[in-house]
Amino acid sequence: MKSRHLVILFVVLVGLAPAVLPTFQVTLLNYIGLYALVVLGLVLLTGVGGMTSFGQAAFVGLGAYTTAYLTATDQLPAWLAWTSGSAWLSLLVGLVLTAVVALTLGALTLRLSGHYLPLGTIAWGISLYYLFGTSHTLGGHSGISGLPPIELFGMPLDKGEEMFYLIWVILLLAMWITQNLLNSREGRAIRALKGGQLMAESMGVNTFRSKIVIFLISALFAALSGWLYAHNQRFINPTPFGLSMGIDYLFMALIGGVANVWGALLGAGILTMAKEWLQDLLPLIFGDKGNYEHIVFGLLIVLIMHKTPGGLWPMLVKLVPARLRQKKKLLPEAGKTEAPKLPQRNLPERGELILEAKDVTRQFGGLVANKEMNLQVHAGEILALIGPNGAGKSTMFNQLSAVDTPTSGEVLFRGASLKGKSSRDVANLGMSRTFQHVKLLPTMTVLENVAIGAHLRGSKGVISSALHLERLEETSLLQEAERQLKRVGLGDYLYEEAGSLALGQQRILEIARALCADPCLLLLDEPAAGLRHKEKQALAELLSKLRSEGMAILLVEHDMDFVMGLVDRIVVMEFGEKIAEGLPEEIQTNPAVLEAYLGGAD
Amino acid sequence: MLLKKTLPALILGSALTATATQAEVKVGVVTSSTGPIALVGIPQKNTVPLLPTTAGGETISYISLDDSSDPSATVKAFKKLIEDEKVDAIIGPSGSPNAMGVIQFAAESGTPMLAPVGTAAVVLPMTEDKKWVFKTTQNDELIAKALVGHMVDSGVKTLGMIGTADPYGENWSLVMAKLCAEAGIKLTAVERFQRQDTSITGQSLKVMMSSPDAVLIAAPGSSSVMPETTLKEQGYAGQIYQTHGAALDPFLKLGGQAVEGTILAASLMLVLDEVPDSPAKEIASKYVADYTAMHGETPATFGGNVYDAGLLLQNAIPTALESGKPGTPEFRSALRDALENTSEMAGTQGVYNMTPEDHSGFDERGRELIQVENNSWTLLK
Amino acid sequence: MNLQIAMLLGQDGITNGAIYALLALSIILVFTVTRILLIPLGEFVTFGALTMYAFQSGQDSSIVWLLMIMMALDAGLDLKQLVTNGMEARKAQWIGLKLAYAVIMVILVETLPLQEIHMAAQVLLTLMILVPLGPIMYRIFFQPIASAPPLVLLIVSIAVHVAMVGVGLLMFGPEGGRTAPFSAATFQVGNVMLKSQTLWVILVSLFLIVSLFLAFERTLYGKALRATAVNRMGARLMGISPDFAGKATFALAAFIGVASGILIAPITTLYYDSGFIISLKGFVGAIIGGLISYPLAAIGAVAVGLIEAFSMFWASNYKEIIVFTLIIPFLLWRSINSSHVEDEE
Repeated sequence: MKSRHLVILFVVLVGLAPAVLPTFQVTLLNYIGLYALVVLGLVLLTGVGGMTSFGQAAFVGLGAYTTAYLTATDQLPAWLAWTSGSAWLSLLVGLVLTAVVALTLGALTLRLSGHYLPLGTIAWGISLYYLFGTSHTLGGHSGISGLPPIELFGMPLDKGEEMFYLIWVILLLAMWITQNLLNSREGRAIRALKGGQLMAESMGVNTFRSKIVIFLISALFAALSGWLYAHNQRFINPTPFGLSMGIDYLFMALIGGVANVWGALLGAGILTMAKEWLQDLLPLIFGDKGNYEHIVFGLLIVLIMHKTPGGLWPMLVKLVPARLRQKKKLLPEAGKTEAPKLPQRNLPERGELILEAKDVTRQFGGLVANKEMNLQVHAGEILALIGPNGAGKSTMFNQLSAVDTPTSGEVLFRGASLKGKSSRDVANLGMSRTFQHVKLLPTMTVLENVAIGAHLRGSKGVISSALHLERLEETSLLQEAERQLKRVGLGDYLYEEAGSLALGQQRILEIARALCADPCLLLLDEPAAGLRHKEKQALAELLSKLRSEGMAILLVEHDMDFVMGLVDRIVVMEFGEKIAEGLPEEIQTNPAVLEAYLGGAD
Repeated sequence: MLLKKTLPALILGSALTATATQAEVKVGVVTSSTGPIALVGIPQKNTVPLLPTTAGGETISYISLDDSSDPSATVKAFKKLIEDEKVDAIIGPSGSPNAMGVIQFAAESGTPMLAPVGTAAVVLPMTEDKKWVFKTTQNDELIAKALVGHMVDSGVKTLGMIGTADPYGENWSLVMAKLCAEAGIKLTAVERFQRQDTSITGQSLKVMMSSPDAVLIAAPGSSSVMPETTLKEQGYAGQIYQTHGAALDPFLKLGGQAVEGTILAASLMLVLDEVPDSPAKEIASKYVADYTAMHGETPATFGGNVYDAGLLLQNAIPTALESGKPGTPEFRSALRDALENTSEMAGTQGVYNMTPEDHSGFDERGRELIQVENNSWTLLK
Repeated sequence: MNLQIAMLLGQDGITNGAIYALLALSIILVFTVTRILLIPLGEFVTFGALTMYAFQSGQDSSIVWLLMIMMALDAGLDLKQLVTNGMEARKAQWIGLKLAYAVIMVILVETLPLQEIHMAAQVLLTLMILVPLGPIMYRIFFQPIASAPPLVLLIVSIAVHVAMVGVGLLMFGPEGGRTAPFSAATFQVGNVMLKSQTLWVILVSLFLIVSLFLAFERTLYGKALRATAVNRMGARLMGISPDFAGKATFALAAFIGVASGILIAPITTLYYDSGFIISLKGFVGAIIGGLISYPLAAIGAVAVGLIEAFSMFWASNYKEIIVFTLIIPFLLWRSINSSHVEDEE
């Protein structure tokens, strides 16, 4: 694979750098590596997860201050004496401490939404920074000096070139881990955070957990960078851990390309070098009087954001000839590795009552959206819920899928009440749904989008994902997704970007994703909308087949032709109430239904 | 994947901007001319064009860099000067933490470093690394002793203190805690503020509640004004002391009537007209005149510290030239030895006498007691 | 702590709080209309204060050249648009007028005896130089990316702030500035001395807050302007284009920022880089108001001022930590109340 060769070449070049570059350039590369490690965390957090943090610098500080305190204090308190000034043990303590702080802050602030989160990170970022400055044991604003160098196999790393290898080995490992993590079951859940949280939750993903996971990882990367920084600099004070550095890290992430692991490296490199050049260049233009660096620096960032809001990395990738940009094949070649099939749920007996709504009423203030609604869905049956616009179908759908809770009455799924259950819980019980407005992750491949549906059928966690120890399970999951895609007729589009599909195909994709969860009940919200005639026929065939396998299906639909030829029973709603229920032919002749749809005959 | 191509290209591009080595003495200057301590760094940067250009028949060239008040940037600047520019000595940086962070790199490469910073920690206690560091400002303790001496003489028994929450204020509160304990003065309240605070009412009230005989304000530059005006507004009647951080003209301009009667200890630069003639006075007068002519305003003492560093180098270079050519480790090492042997050299800030133990080299001639009278500095006799 | 101290601290907190409230309202205004978090608002405050100081202390008032440069850039962009979209006499005239305005300002600043003219004239001149920078800033930096994702807008906003701080250092130098009070009178309430300047701050802020509130909550035009971000149609019906709405709000925000700077310049020392922390506290107020509610934001901002004043007294070392840690519960409360799982973008 070509891109793999490029990576290897890059690693070799990095390895040779100290031998060929002047020492000052090695020093700069050290800083670039340190910054890139932090920015890598931001790529994960902001670019992939959609959460903006200004507080990363504070985590860098946490790592740096822990090791500075433990290795440069003469008389450690007894309970910390076991670290005995060892840089490696302090790293351990620093990472544990950072994890504890990150979990606490994360639990507090990651529930914040929209612009509250970045402002929240500014708040604790500033607080931690001032805390470093006010603490006497941490040397106050003057800082702590005399840190020992890191020792590796008894050899002190006190030269820039020696630190270079440590920094870059750690950075490349971190990049490898991040890349691995993103291409896994956990990674798909993380990538769904940006723009797909509602969907992910209904596929059984604990989105809050995913948020905490990436917040923790990015904090640990930052702390690691802080540890390296402290022993590289061998002196620390609060300045490099303040808000302005937090802002710089974000600048690097956005300039490089916030959605890509390599963007972290590019951004850190460009910004560090740009500052050097500006300092060399600007005095030649403007003379020695006055400082123009910050002005030009700010304007440069504005310019880049104007020209390429996604950062410079995507722009660079576009320059690479298309043949080098071949799509990555996630699945092994046919017949090469046959991963075990995922275990399947025992489907209920045909005719068993699956879903029941009992007197469901939902009020919004004075408005009654659903009033005493009753309906039942059985295994091996397709039930349609129809009604004119504004009849309360969507509200009802939300009550049935546990997105919303009824004001009174209850919904029973396989005999158990859904009261207090989240959409994640019902996904686990075997209910799977699609959305009226298609919810998928447009930049992810079709295959990966569908694999999110199988989230609950895998169990391997973050660590095995990061180290790629879960390849067998991953293959099982992807093969299941492939199977479902072939089943619904999208087998030719596995590696297309989901966003590039036609709307009708996207709806079918959602059904494949729902099927991937191995459900016993499918809730479909207007599945035929936007489909062409042929596609509708295929969809009807698919649903019939599922019914014959014993699946229970409830669909909300507008398209009468589609409904009438397919479903077993119909429930009609108007003004939040059920006005009719019965077989399709009965409904077609029901006067109340006709009146609702055609208006009363005056 | 273009990264592998671009990155080295970028790096090489930067390397090419380094100028070719010439047979002259190269001196690097690192100041914080942007960022939070720009008010210290800018007069220092502005002083660079006034530094001596020849010594012992060799020309001296200066390369001036800014570290944005950020210690990591200071390290980068130092490494650039040492490794790329191969300088023979470095003047700077402006901030104490910035200086603490680069001592090891100066020592490691054997480059003498003349630090115009306040804290004595850069030269004390003397270590193998700090041998390469010389400090061209009066130790805070030297100034503080003068102030405490005046307090004792005028019967001050209790003292309140307001200082900035930065290395400057921090070091001063350490020094004062020590000296006050020795002199039997009780520190009744020590309050902190941020330079950018828009109000210091709370701190000032807290100090007033402890009703001290006098108050000392330790803050660099114009941030020293607001604590004093606030205290005056709230009706504080005791004596107010300031540190040499206040020794610049904006202090008088911003403080106006409120800072009348303030006592501070600083270099003779503020009261050139009143001190008796001395070599130091002559040099300081020339510096102030040159600076004012070039920049249209009188220099803060921070600038004088850099000027003195230049003079120290000029003084030491001829001796060092006997041991080696500029650009060689021998020359730098000899330069360091020569700096350490500086004796009775007058600068803008006083008279320098360096010894292996004392790399700051000031005595009482390095500071004068000054009082604000009629909105101008006058020598306190 | 006795009553006198509590009153002094309260006065202090309310004065600062009033300024934070003004800034919080501008922040909300700009945010609701353009989705931009206006980080550089703080620079308008410091520029206002330092320009006044430069006038009064007889320093070089090079800031007017910033106006000239920005105006020229703006005119250049307009001209480019004219060339591509075809000439229109009225628009060409408008460009000329704008340039002429900048030239007149330069002439005024270079010729008037700035130190001697009446303070009201200094205030007016300061406003006339700085307020146009607001709409120009929108035109140059934000209008081309008006529909970009929120994160990109935020980054550009911060980058503009960084550049403006750099400009501030260049124009005003590193030392702080403090101007003469509008009037030197003081008066006694109980046993506490009140400065008339603090009254000025509170009264003017109150006046501005109430007028803003009335203009944007009670008039149709104001409501339509506010709704531009969410309801372009409604705004169009009122004859408001998104571009115009952006420039108008930036002008207003610049005005409020500069006015705040002029108001507090006599009671504090402001530096070229003081703006950020001040606007950050305005942001705290805006957050408490949920980035929507004017009255809540105003109350929140005053609360920030008061908390700051009292924590300054009790624990000066921990002031910033106290103020910024206190935001987090507010943020949580706001965030829990406003939505559950939400999908951004």
